[in-house]
Amino acid sequence: MKRTSFQHLSLRYPYLLALVLFIIAILVNLYFQTSLFEPGTINNNMRVFLPLVLLVAGEAVVILAGGIDISVGSIVSIVSALLATRVGIDGTPEKALLWFGIALLVGIVAGCFNGFFVAYLRLQPIITTYATSFLFGGMALFILPQPGGGIPASVANIYRTVMPLGLHWAFYVIPVLVLVWVLIRETRYGRYLFAVGGKAQAAYETAVPVNQVIFSTYVISGLMAALAGICIILLTGTGNPQIGEQMTLQAITSVVIGGTAMSGGVGGIAGPIMGAVTLGIIKNIISFANIDTWWQTFVNAIIIVAALAAPGVISLFRRNRS
Amino acid sequence: MTLSLSAQNIVKRYGGVLALSDGNLDIHPGEVVALIGANGSGKSTLSKVINGVVVFDGGQLLLDGKPVTFPSPQSARNLGISTVFQELSLVPQMTVAENIWLTREPLKPYGLVDKKEIKVRTKELIALFEGCYKLPINPDYPVGSLPPDEMQLIEILKAISFNPRVLILDEATASLDSRQVQRLFELVSKWKKDGKAIVFVSHRMEEIFQIADRYSVLRNGVTVGAGMMNEITEHGLVNLMVGKDSVFSYAAKERQSEIAEKPARLVVENLQTTVLKGIDMTVREGELLGIGGLKGHGQRDLLLSIFGDIPHSGKFLFEGKQINYSHPRHAIKNGIALVPGDRSREGLLPIRSILENLMLPSWASYGFPLKMRKANLDGEAISNSLNLKMSGLDAQVNSLSGGNAQKVIIGKWLLKKPRLLLLDDPTKGVDVGTKAEFYKLLRQICENGTSIIFYSSDDEELIGLCDRILVMYEGQIRRELVAPNLTKANLVAASMGASDGSMK
Repeated sequence: MKRTSFQHLSLRYPYLLALVLFIIAILVNLYFQTSLFEPGTINNNMRVFLPLVLLVAGEAVVILAGGIDISVGSIVSIVSALLATRVGIDGTPEKALLWFGIALLVGIVAGCFNGFFVAYLRLQPIITTYATSFLFGGMALFILPQPGGGIPASVANIYRTVMPLGLHWAFYVIPVLVLVWVLIRETRYGRYLFAVGGKAQAAYETAVPVNQVIFSTYVISGLMAALAGICIILLTGTGNPQIGEQMTLQAITSVVIGGTAMSGGVGGIAGPIMGAVTLGIIKNIISFANIDTWWQTFVNAIIIVAALAAPGVISLFRRNRS
Repeated sequence: MTLSLSAQNIVKRYGGVLALSDGNLDIHPGEVVALIGANGSGKSTLSKVINGVVVFDGGQLLLDGKPVTFPSPQSARNLGISTVFQELSLVPQMTVAENIWLTREPLKPYGLVDKKEIKVRTKELIALFEGCYKLPINPDYPVGSLPPDEMQLIEILKAISFNPRVLILDEATASLDSRQVQRLFELVSKWKKDGKAIVFVSHRMEEIFQIADRYSVLRNGVTVGAGMMNEITEHGLVNLMVGKDSVFSYAAKERQSEIAEKPARLVVENLQTTVLKGIDMTVREGELLGIGGLKGHGQRDLLLSIFGDIPHSGKFLFEGKQINYSHPRHAIKNGIALVPGDRSREGLLPIRSILENLMLPSWASYGFPLKMRKANLDGEAISNSLNLKMSGLDAQVNSLSGGNAQKVIIGKWLLKKPRLLLLDDPTKGVDVGTKAEFYKLLRQICENGTSIIFYSSDDEELIGLCDRILVMYEGQIRRELVAPNLTKANLVAASMGASDGSMK
């Protein structure tokens, strides 16, 4: 059966929608903020976008393999609370580095926790990670009951003001992420991700280690969430035990508009990263256009619905026409 | 002769259900053994025990005389046991090449997949079925974009790419057309000579007699007979399978002349879709019209167009009135019913009760709140007339065997008293015992005045059952077969596009 050209294109290039939205968002942003392409603005924007980009990369891997992780935001919160209380504003850079390492371990342990329940106890990913999101969120509030504390400014400034070759760290981190992904995709493990997400039963019958693959995706997601948490405290300098709360929905939205199917087995992380940047730009637009911030949630919701509905709407139109 | 693999007294329970209570199978190198049994007799379970997909609860597996256990498919595969799964073990979103080599990708240094090597080796494998594809297959096509028969071929190629010692073919021929089956059998004979042991699970008697050396028959989870193929008749095998002397005999009734007098129920003129290239045909009242031909030559499109399920152009006259349905709802309302080809996906709500499945199209006539007593009575009546073997109307449809599940689909439409019934390969994967009942049922339905358009991939049943057969080839009707031309030779010739006989 023939496919309409849009369906064909979006199947071959799953991140097409993200690209279109990205370009539209940039044009609209440019209208409100003519300085958008000046180096200062770009670096400033990317500095703000990077935490979500890291979070999205991990979430995309989970969704690609057919799961979902809605505890990522809470892991960000734990990391933020942990660093703010253990390192402190007057801590030394060495201490900060040590606790960054511990924070990554915490992310991995949280991911193992999710992965164990989903892969080995066969619990529903959405229920499991919803439950653990309260667990992790509660721990964050236990460690740091209200916003406060932080990391030394000298450390935060490395993230905020140091620009190798005039570009912010994000311009180095993102290509490395994409490159690592492109390489992973060409390994057996990469193929396993697609196979498990596409049809787990078939993968199992082909002797793919399905449980281990599912487990690994949650560990990756936990690790990336911890990285995002480190990144966000570098950005803000202070701790906030609820900072990650709204990042979960943003991460999932980014993945969806980035063309990684919620059903699994299709997509990658390049599209979702573009989706994350697009969401950041939309946030900018809303603040520049002097619109109430609650519109931002509204716009996110509209985008996610549109992205999910697009293929269905197109085939509906096609059917009515004939 | 060394015994390469032997399953002895295998027991397997799924929850409280005993799927196998005494399964036995000996597999020798260089031999094809047919594993035969009615649906639900435990064939698939036994083959899944042998390939490690399920872990058995009792009995033992002997490999060259030594007991082994397979805790995972991986361990069975390491010993060279490979399977063509009935439900296919392919990931639709991945390409042909990725699917075939999944878990065994040739690697370059640093663990990267060697795409070039994969492509070359995939092409070599694809060439094994040269001439059996509708279009040349590119290793980079997503498997999900291929028609079902070609997916099945890819599944076979995947299994053989292991170069296995034991190859299990679980209903591998069910969705293949006769040309593809012949090619497969040529390959099986070759593999046999190479010393591979082959387990052939099938419902098609003709194929079993053509390819198998030995047989092993399962009935209700127990191996009831095994021996050499040349020492048993088709009749004998059927008796072993059903356990009683009920032979499947469906004498075709010579009623064509009688039917030709009847008024036309449906006239199709110049029907076109992306696949169909101008179909003209007539179905008469009470006629059982067969649609034959190789898989994928537009039979499914024909049925779906009449049912209003796919975009099409052309003219339909239903009982003299011009119709053109753009939605199956319209067709159903006017007394047309479709029994789809993929019963678990398109025909049934697997986890709902038999009653709910039967009543699904008819609930509207049971008022509000639903008159459950009446529904139960009607459900009871129809399941009795269908001779449905079930534990009760409130049992899940899942619990029925393939043939009985198919009866539920027919039953749900019979409750609506359709005047035209469209059947898309309804006996695929149905055992012989149930098939015979099914044929009787179809004849009965026709005698009550309902017209049936019956597509089947099984040439035997078309010949045995239908009043008239239209053979499709490349989206057109190649030939119309009526008695006395209603023979298998004519059907096969027309399916292959042979240009003899009455061309349209």
